[in-house]
Amino acid sequence: MPLSESDANVEPAVPQPQATVIGPARPAAGQREAADFETLLGAVVDAAYGYAFRLSHNRSDAEDLVQEAALLAFRGFGSFEPGSNFKAWFFKILTNCYRSKYRRDKRRPTVDLDDTPDLYLYARSGEVGFPTDGPDPASALLDRLGTERVVAALDQLPEEYRIVSTLYFMQDFSYEEIARALECPVGTVRSRLHRGRKILQKALWEVAEEAGIVHPPRSAEL
Amino acid sequence: MSEHLDRMTCEEAFRRLDDFIDRQLNAEEMRLVQEHLDVCAQCTREFNFELSVINGVRSRLARIAAPPDFLSRIASSLPRPKPGEGG
Repeated sequence: MPLSESDANVEPAVPQPQATVIGPARPAAGQREAADFETLLGAVVDAAYGYAFRLSHNRSDAEDLVQEAALLAFRGFGSFEPGSNFKAWFFKILTNCYRSKYRRDKRRPTVDLDDTPDLYLYARSGEVGFPTDGPDPASALLDRLGTERVVAALDQLPEEYRIVSTLYFMQDFSYEEIARALECPVGTVRSRLHRGRKILQKALWEVAEEAGIVHPPRSAEL
Repeated sequence: MSEHLDRMTCEEAFRRLDDFIDRQLNAEEMRLVQEHLDVCAQCTREFNFELSVINGVRSRLARIAAPPDFLSRIASSLPRPKPGEGG
């Protein structure tokens, strides 16, 4: 039974999340495989937790997501090809867990997807006298926003843009790794990321306006 | 026959901005964009600003460490094979 629209095209080798994971699991790995699995998981557990936390916004939910993904990955460890990219493989399972568990919250505000001009922050910053030149020109705005509001802006992205952007900004994943983790072509990653970055700039500006950090030009106030 | 670019215009360079920042261009295109930036102050300013936004967001979404005992809790919850089983 497909879990969601986004799960419909997953590769059969990837363990799929279920509505609930209960009861004793079928042991899929022997002693040596279990040790190998724990070693590989140990190398990515912080990144996985951080990713899950950014997606779910909650420490408890982040732990649940990673634990569920770990159990699924352990059960399907036999399908993991030794020497291949465990992080991308595990993040694929983790992302599927997130998608199946957290339907998009319709109440969550999303930034308008209509055409966001190129260089949005550059142009808006220039309009209000924020720096547009120098060694780190965007820091004037981002420093005032702080992490909480940057996260709030990222949260305003439509779900698929938010996921790809979170992997990009948090995990330093290459386009290829993101494509593997999200089970989509590299071209899709590229286009979502490029558009996501533009939308994020608009969201950052809107958050800054809401926080009173910047003010709309007088002509736009009417 | 593919078109060979000896040098890029601002528009051609700008179209490659994101891929240049992410080093997704081939070596020849990276070189051509860089050569354009070397002589175009306006594009350099715009590229630097975009890079500053990306790096700034990245640094503010710094990694979050899992709780210290998290890995051991996960490990203990996995269905461990009995000694002598498998491996």
